[in-house]
Parts: sequence; C-alpha cells; structure tokens
Amino acid sequence: MDNQYLLGIFLVMGVATFMTRLLPFVALTQSQSHPLLARVGRSLPPMIMVILVCFGLSSLQIESLDRLGLSFIALTAVTTLQLSIGNPLLSILVGTGMYTLGVQWFGIV
Amino acid sequence: MIESKVSSELLEALRDSAPVMLGYVPLGMAFGLLFQSLGYHWLFAPLAGLIIYAGSAQFMAVGLLASGVSYAEAFIATLLLNSRHIFYGLSVLGQYPKRGLSRWYLIFGLTDETYSLITAKAPRVASGHTYYLYLTALNQSYWIIGCALGAGLQSFFEFDSRGFEFALVALFVVLLIEQAKIMNDHWLLILALCAVFVAHFLVPEQFLLVAISLCLVALLLGPKRGSLNG
Repeated sequence: MDNQYLLGIFLVMGVATFMTRLLPFVALTQSQSHPLLARVGRSLPPMIMVILVCFGLSSLQIESLDRLGLSFIALTAVTTLQLSIGNPLLSILVGTGMYTLGVQWFGIV
Repeated sequence: MIESKVSSELLEALRDSAPVMLGYVPLGMAFGLLFQSLGYHWLFAPLAGLIIYAGSAQFMAVGLLASGVSYAEAFIATLLLNSRHIFYGLSVLGQYPKRGLSRWYLIFGLTDETYSLITAKAPRVASGHTYYLYLTALNQSYWIIGCALGAGLQSFFEFDSRGFEFALVALFVVLLIEQAKIMNDHWLLILALCAVFVAHFLVPEQFLLVAISLCLVALLLGPKRGSLNG
C-alpha cells in the first residue's frame, strides 16, 4: 500500500473541499450588505435542506418495493416524532434503528 | 465571569450539535468500514475526517483510491462534488469573524450540517464567535470519532453497518423541520422540491448542484426583488 499516494489524495481533496467553502468569503466581502444578497442568504438554507433530504434518499439506492416501504415507514417515524415531540436525538435514533433493524434482522434488501 | 460564559457557550454548542453527533458517528462509521476494504492502516480513516472533512467526498475517495486516480482527477472530482458549498457562505458571511485563525477554521468546517445549525439560529456577532467555534469543532470531532470507530472495529472484528446510512437522511429531515419552523415563506420549500424534480430529470448525475442553482436563480429573480430595490 502506498501511504504517500493516499496522503497526497487526502490533501488534494481537502484543499478542493476548502476552496468550495472559501469562495463566497473571498468573492463577496464588498457586497455582503446588499439587501438582495441578504435575502438570498436567509431563504437558501431551508431550500437546501429540502434538496439534501432528496439527495440523502437517492443515496439510499432503493431498488425494491420492500426497501421503499421500509424507507417510507422510517421516514414517517422521523417526521412524526420530530413534529410532535421535537427531540432530534429521539427522532434520528428511532428512524435509523427501525431502518437498520429492517435491513439486518428482517433481511429487507 | 468569563469562565461561566465559556462553559455556557460550550454547553449550548453541545446541546445543539447532539443531533449531528447521531448522524455523523454512524455515517463516519460507514465510511470507516468502507475505507478498510482498501487495506490501508485503519488510522488513515480518521485522518481523512481530519484533512478532507466532507462526507460525500470521503465516500468518493474510497472509489477514487481503489481505481488509482491521479491527483488532478481527484481535485476536479472533489470540486464538482462539493460545489454546492459555494452557496453556503452566502448565509453566514456577516456572522463569521473577519480575520484570524478562527475564520479559516470555521470556513473549513462549513459542512451541510454545521451550515444548517448555524443558519437555524439567530446571528450572534456579539458573543465573539466562540459558540460557532465550539459547534464546528464538536461536529468535526463526531465525524472523526465515527471514521475511527468504523475503521477500527472493522480491522478488529467483522462489523455489520448495513442500514446506518439512513442516519444521514434522518438528520437532514430533522434539520429541515427545524429550519421550516423558523421561516415565513413556506412556498420556498415547494419551490425547492420543484427544483429537485426538474434537476433530477435534466441532469440526474449532478442534480444536487443544479437544484441549488435553480433555487438561487429563482430567489434572485423572485417577486420580492422589486420591493427590495424600490
């Protein structure tokens, strides 16, 4: 195993990730008080979360009806718990627990 | 006096970041397990969490390393994969420190989840950014711990992590609900969903970036623009 190559790849990917996060901070220092930009900055976060939920669901790579059903049940559990009790720890634990149980114990693939 | 302020900010950061811990530890473990399939020492997995600190990029790294890509390819692939982060700074520009080492670390650690936690709270410029630093550092340490646990467990036992990937979806759902609670324009959520559908049909392999870009364009051209300018 080539540790030097591994470290090189880590560093290159770390720099690239940092650059994507850094760009607005170096590009927009002058215009940050612009009202339009301020509104975009305020409105974007919840929209990005909608997109990330969809991204997360697509990365589950659901390929069967059983898995679709399991995902739907776990997703409903998370949503219901978060809306009613509002404890993030409980919502995430119960949802992930149900999904993992379904996959590992009940063999839903 | 100062001590009690520090500890109260740390406590607040600990409380706020707890859901991220529940998402990052199992997801980091899933990465660690996958990373072990490459055959490197398990300590390189937490090192990836320290240096790269981006979930999807690290999962991609396993594939890239397995196929032995060049540095240039890894660089460009990571830029493309993480390009959504370009828009995150927009929301925290005014709140982050203007200079100093803390500024660079906070920008380095601006992941999806840290971004969501920070934007879900009222801006706190006055408190000297210690809260942001605690929050960012705590989140990264959860991630590193997860990476280490997954790779370490895998190198000593056979460990089954199938299903853990749902933790990220659950975390995103929780973060979305918390964001939705503090917003006025709920139609924006519908708009974002439409953007996802359009992006998914147009460019399925880059739908994340395209969907965010569509939202950005919609916000810039949106109906409130006139009232803001006039």
